[in-house]
Amino acid sequence: MVSKNITIKNELGMHMRPASLLAKMAATYESNVTVKFNGKDFNCKSVMLLMTALIKCGSEIELVCDGADEEKALAELSEFIESGMGE
Amino acid sequence: MYKGIAASRGIGIGKICRIIEPDLSFEAKVITDIEAEKARFSKAIADFVEETNAMAEEVRKNIGPKEAEILLGHAAMMDDPAMSGEMFSMIETGQCAEAALTAVSDMFYGIFSTMDDEMMRQRASDIADVKVSLLKILLGVKDVNIGSVPEGTVLVCKDLTPSMTSQIVKENVAGIMTEVGGPTSHSAILARALEIPAVLSVPGIVDSVNDGDTAIVDGNAGDVFINPELDVLSEYIIKREDFNKKKAELQKFIGKETLTADGDKLEIYCNIGTPKDAKKAMECDGEGVGLFRSEFLFMDNTHLPTEEEQFEAYKEAVETMEGRTVIIRTLDIGGDKDIPYMDFEKEENPFLGFRAVRYCLAHQDMYKVQLRAIVRASAYGKAKIMVPLVTTVEEVRTVKKLVAEIKDELRAEGIAFDEDIEVGCMMETAASAAIADLLAKEADFFSIGTNDLTGYTMAVDRGNAKVAYLYSAFQPAVLRSIRTIIKAGKEAGIPVGMCGEAAADPLMIPLLMSFGLDEYSVNPVLVLRARCIISKWTKAEADALAEKVMAMATEEEVKAELEASAKEI
Repeated sequence: MVSKNITIKNELGMHMRPASLLAKMAATYESNVTVKFNGKDFNCKSVMLLMTALIKCGSEIELVCDGADEEKALAELSEFIESGMGE
Repeated sequence: MYKGIAASRGIGIGKICRIIEPDLSFEAKVITDIEAEKARFSKAIADFVEETNAMAEEVRKNIGPKEAEILLGHAAMMDDPAMSGEMFSMIETGQCAEAALTAVSDMFYGIFSTMDDEMMRQRASDIADVKVSLLKILLGVKDVNIGSVPEGTVLVCKDLTPSMTSQIVKENVAGIMTEVGGPTSHSAILARALEIPAVLSVPGIVDSVNDGDTAIVDGNAGDVFINPELDVLSEYIIKREDFNKKKAELQKFIGKETLTADGDKLEIYCNIGTPKDAKKAMECDGEGVGLFRSEFLFMDNTHLPTEEEQFEAYKEAVETMEGRTVIIRTLDIGGDKDIPYMDFEKEENPFLGFRAVRYCLAHQDMYKVQLRAIVRASAYGKAKIMVPLVTTVEEVRTVKKLVAEIKDELRAEGIAFDEDIEVGCMMETAASAAIADLLAKEADFFSIGTNDLTGYTMAVDRGNAKVAYLYSAFQPAVLRSIRTIIKAGKEAGIPVGMCGEAAADPLMIPLLMSFGLDEYSVNPVLVLRARCIISKWTKAEADALAEKVMAMATEEEVKAELEASAKEI
């Protein structure tokens, strides 16, 4: 299991569009991908759950990857989040 | 009369057609053949996705890509492991598809509908819409056919869902009323995109009306009348004609230059607060951005925005405007704002204190980051730097010196920028008006900020009800300051703009035209109106009015004269 702390930079936080792009990308990995925020775990492969997390601009999340391709998943997903998730 | 939220402008008059959702109740059964039930649910999802995608395509063609995205989002929702995955898990425990769908959707609906974020609450209605669509498929219930309502129909429903909206034939629907939804709801966005007058959140309206009732939907005021008296009806028929005439009149100004009645060219720019607003400025036919407030970068942040963050934001706005001017105002905040990572101290008089350019020049390392980001963005279009709260010539000189240093650095680093990037003054203090001739020798342009100019000239806090009566740009003192500033700019040969609310005021525009204002920066939605007003006046008419008004001693007389002389638009 590997993890990393990341600050969300998107102006409107984890909204529909970034959340769906992130979930889509997370779903391409074999590993379980979890977003830890505010003491709760959210399945990163689910847009719905990501949105329920109410992650705002400036919030810090912990991205946890667990599985066969965990290193690759963590590196690529955290880069995607840090780059502003396509916004 | 019923009151609701005015969500889409215009007046609609027609016969009511209520859209009552069909009965979707079902009996929850215990499933024995689990595989068959899963297959039935999979088939329903596939049908739903197919239908929704087809509808999205229709919407994309008839309404727009942004509106179509809402429906595509619905189809994607059923792909979500937390939605369909959870539903399939429930079916595996022996529950029927309808029950599984309802339980999971309702759980998410519950979560989203209680969030205190309007955009997230919106997701709740998406979920409800998806649930209903899928239930209809599972239960084999046919939809109300909105597409076939006759011309002059006023639709009344609990909530106007995107799937309903996609069937609307724009020509046949005169108005829309719903019981739920706010100004940013899908219903509102779609109604505006279709240009159908709409009043939302009218409590209990579905049960208060009958099919065939006559209804007036006033999407400007948020009023609704059911079976109105003849005098009300005729009043609204006139209002409707009036509104449509004005709208058609304004539409004529799309894509046109801003010309006075004599044919002299002026410019209408837009005031924006984020790079995304630049798109709006373009959509609304703005000829540039006269004020891009940079505060959003600092206010909604946990740290001082980096040069890259700022550069990206400025570049986005500059690129969006495709070569048109974008005037970026450097940081304009002070002790009245609580920004945790900045060292603003509590002050007795924050508006007379350590703020805007004063703060920035005391923190030149920080200020240079912002200036550098703007200068770099100038390589991608036409960016200009505007310095807020100028009161002395030294302030402008210092900013220009910093900009010159930055240009040297960038040149040495081989980074592109516009060599001719202009540095201008925001004219918003009594001091700046008094030394406008001196500032005009230093600045490349002026932009008058009438809101603060009024406050600082009249020495009045507009938030204080006891003195707010003094807060008016029509006060002779303010008008004289405006005239002085424009005259000083003209004499020095630099362009003068205005980015305060007064620039869009139909009463103020002829005076500004007479004084010689070049650029009027307004809220994007007011671009066409301002352009229309300017087209009505000749310079000679404006001059005659200005001469009369500038000799008057009181605000009351000034306003009365301007109102009496105002031109019909």
